[in-house]
Amino acid sequence: MEDDDRAKYLFLSLLQARVGSSLVSHLGNLSPEAVLRTPVAELAGRAKISEKASRAFAELQRSFDPDRMQDRLATRGIEVLTPVDEAFPRPLRSIPDPPPALFVNGAVPDTVSVALVGSRKASATGIETARALGLALSERGVCVVSGLALGVDAAAHEGAVEVGGLTVGVLGCGIDVVYPRRNRALFESVRRHGALVSEYALGEAPLAWRFPARNRIIAGLAGTVVVVEAPEHSGALITARHALDAGRDVWAVPGPPGVRECRGSNGLLSDGAGVLWDIPEFVDAVAREHRVPAAGGASAGVQPLPSGLEDTEAAVLCGVGFEPMGVDAVAKRSGVEMPGVLTALALLELKGFVRRDGVGSYARRAVP
Amino acid sequence: MSVCRARSLSLFGIDALPVEVEVDVSSGLPGFSIVGLPDAAVQEARERVRVAISNSGYKFPTKKVIVNLAPANLRKEGPAFDLPIALGILAASGALPPGGLEEAGVVGELSLDGGLRGIKGALSMAEGARREGLPRLLVPERDAPEAAAIGGVEVYGMRTLREAVEFLGDSARVCPAEPAVEDGRPVEAGEDFADVAGQRYAKRALEVAAAGAHNVVMSGPPGSGKTMLARRMPGILPPLTMEERIEVTKVHSASGEGNGTLVTRRPFRAPHHTVSTSGLAGGGSNPRPGEVSLAHHGVLFLDELPEFSRTALEALRQPLEDGQVTISRVAATLTYPARVTLLCSMNPCPCGYAGDRRKVCRCTAGQIERYQGRISGPLLDRMDLFVDVPRLTRQELREERQAEESSSVRERVSGARGIQALRQGSPNSALSGRRLREVCALRGDAETLFSRAVDRMGLSGRGHDRVLRVARTVADLSGEEEIAAEHVAEALNYRRSHLVGR
Repeated sequence: MEDDDRAKYLFLSLLQARVGSSLVSHLGNLSPEAVLRTPVAELAGRAKISEKASRAFAELQRSFDPDRMQDRLATRGIEVLTPVDEAFPRPLRSIPDPPPALFVNGAVPDTVSVALVGSRKASATGIETARALGLALSERGVCVVSGLALGVDAAAHEGAVEVGGLTVGVLGCGIDVVYPRRNRALFESVRRHGALVSEYALGEAPLAWRFPARNRIIAGLAGTVVVVEAPEHSGALITARHALDAGRDVWAVPGPPGVRECRGSNGLLSDGAGVLWDIPEFVDAVAREHRVPAAGGASAGVQPLPSGLEDTEAAVLCGVGFEPMGVDAVAKRSGVEMPGVLTALALLELKGFVRRDGVGSYARRAVP
Repeated sequence: MSVCRARSLSLFGIDALPVEVEVDVSSGLPGFSIVGLPDAAVQEARERVRVAISNSGYKFPTKKVIVNLAPANLRKEGPAFDLPIALGILAASGALPPGGLEEAGVVGELSLDGGLRGIKGALSMAEGARREGLPRLLVPERDAPEAAAIGGVEVYGMRTLREAVEFLGDSARVCPAEPAVEDGRPVEAGEDFADVAGQRYAKRALEVAAAGAHNVVMSGPPGSGKTMLARRMPGILPPLTMEERIEVTKVHSASGEGNGTLVTRRPFRAPHHTVSTSGLAGGGSNPRPGEVSLAHHGVLFLDELPEFSRTALEALRQPLEDGQVTISRVAATLTYPARVTLLCSMNPCPCGYAGDRRKVCRCTAGQIERYQGRISGPLLDRMDLFVDVPRLTRQELREERQAEESSSVRERVSGARGIQALRQGSPNSALSGRRLREVCALRGDAETLFSRAVDRMGLSGRGHDRVLRVARTVADLSGEEEIAAEHVAEALNYRRSHLVGR
């Protein structure tokens, strides 16, 4: 009986991967059994699925072979969890639109989790903050959930992996698809330090609409969602909205006022999100809230070398802002001649006071 | 009638090889043939020579004329044999005493009215004549100043065939040509560093690049002034030495771009990104120097680097490594010199605005990665400095104070180059392996700083060497013998920044 239900959920999951994410919620309280028995035409009317999707549905009904599918997943070491399974992550059951099936490569840790999300094109400061957060949470024994995208997501996972913490990556594509490709190595280490999960079966392409949909799973798996750096209309804000719908806490890292890249996250703050102004303070708050036992172990984090600043360095540091700026601008604001500025900037970077980003701009670092 | 000989030269790469023009006029059916591997242009000399001789008031022999170009195995190209063939025929038919041809090399293209046209590679020809021990060289008048620059051989500029005949027949007095007068200005008017407002970081990077002959990549959004800066790069390089001038002129002249004088400015070549592989590196069935050779001792500027075809860029690897291009053909192997400072510019991403504060970049990470991935690793390995050139606001441009002039930058650059020449006989960019370790040994603070940087910034082996080389140049610029911590620190700024990934 249970196997039968699993098969039905699997079918629903395949269907949902074709027609959009909220089939289950559209159908209301219908059991998967009932869904399968419903004629296509009626289903199309109730779930408002398109002509094309109903054709896909009919096609799926003909070709669906649950045993073969489960065999193929098993040979790749991928587990399928459906709501009838005991191991289906508990927090996911309580969100408004849970996935009919969750494909898991690895093991989803049963601990307190925090989701770290943000822009793919985050600033150097945003990336560093995400990394530091991932690191601090892991050291406290909290699992870091994110989306394995570039930018903030990747940095959050890397922070967690760096100290051997727990982390879960939620994919917006098939469970065996590596996207973006450059994160291949990170995919593997996330799998070893936790799990890759996806509601999409093997080989599903990373279509644009699947990413906003997977954000509800990121929010659902975590008890708290942190938006590190996000412009308006970004995926991270969709995650925050899902988190609110599912009754999760939402925090945001404050950014400089008026900067495009931080307008989304700053907007969340003005709407009443938790202000993440200090990392240890935040980690303590999470630990208190979810009653995480105190974790031992020394920090393996890289601390900048303690060192005083010379006069020129101090002058140049005054010229560096919190927003990235070019070397010329730093030189003009600090009033130091060019070779001197270049020397000082490299020393300040090594001492951990400033950070250089991908286009050669410098900004002050959060923690010197 | 016996055989008459005229001595000429043929351009082979940028060097001239001696060619003997033998003319035999014998009785038989009137005719005119040329043997000795002539190409089409040499074959057509028959018509030009016949008409030019008649139009100069001489009589073309109504006999059987055979011209042999020796050595017979060397392929002869171009119209420069017109004059020696004509003189040889006139000598063989008695219009010119044959003795006059013994002591002179002759090159020149004839026009139908008997006038002489300019030729390619006059300077190389003069050098060849000197090497062959010829005391005199006759060239078209246009090329005489260029050819005379080599010295050691008397160069006479001729306007017409008749003038040449009279000169050789001792009936006309002509003074040897004077070498081209240099105009002495190493900077093109209006191409001074002082004209560029702001961008002091980029200017400093170019100064360091010039001082160590390092190759540079400039990255920045459209309109940030990359091309403007690049055009001013030759102006801060030390002036060409006499030897360099001759080499540069030889290449330019061999490609037909010479203007009859010695080149005095450092070449600046900016080929369009649609340039073909042989256009860039040299070659073709009738080999010609490519842009990289035309930029010899100067600057080769590749604007929009990722747009260049991959094969064209790959062809640059050998010249960047060896300072010369070797072109192999079935018939022969040619070598063109190609010692250039490579200057490249690129946008940070396909749309150009990644990292810009005022315009949103619309590229995906994948697009950016593909765009940057178009440049091959081996080529990037030969680039020592990476500099970001941001766009300036109008406000910033207005506020900028008077910038330094090219001439004072050039003085510092020349000083640094002088130090390098004394120390290792080559610019710092050529340092590698053990020599690099010796010359760039770090001590004390510098050593500590550098090892910390290697750790913290994740420098690769190549990145490591690159920083050392550049630090050496920065130290040379400030005239110091030892590389200090501050020099290493400055050099660290010129490492490559990664837009995608961290």
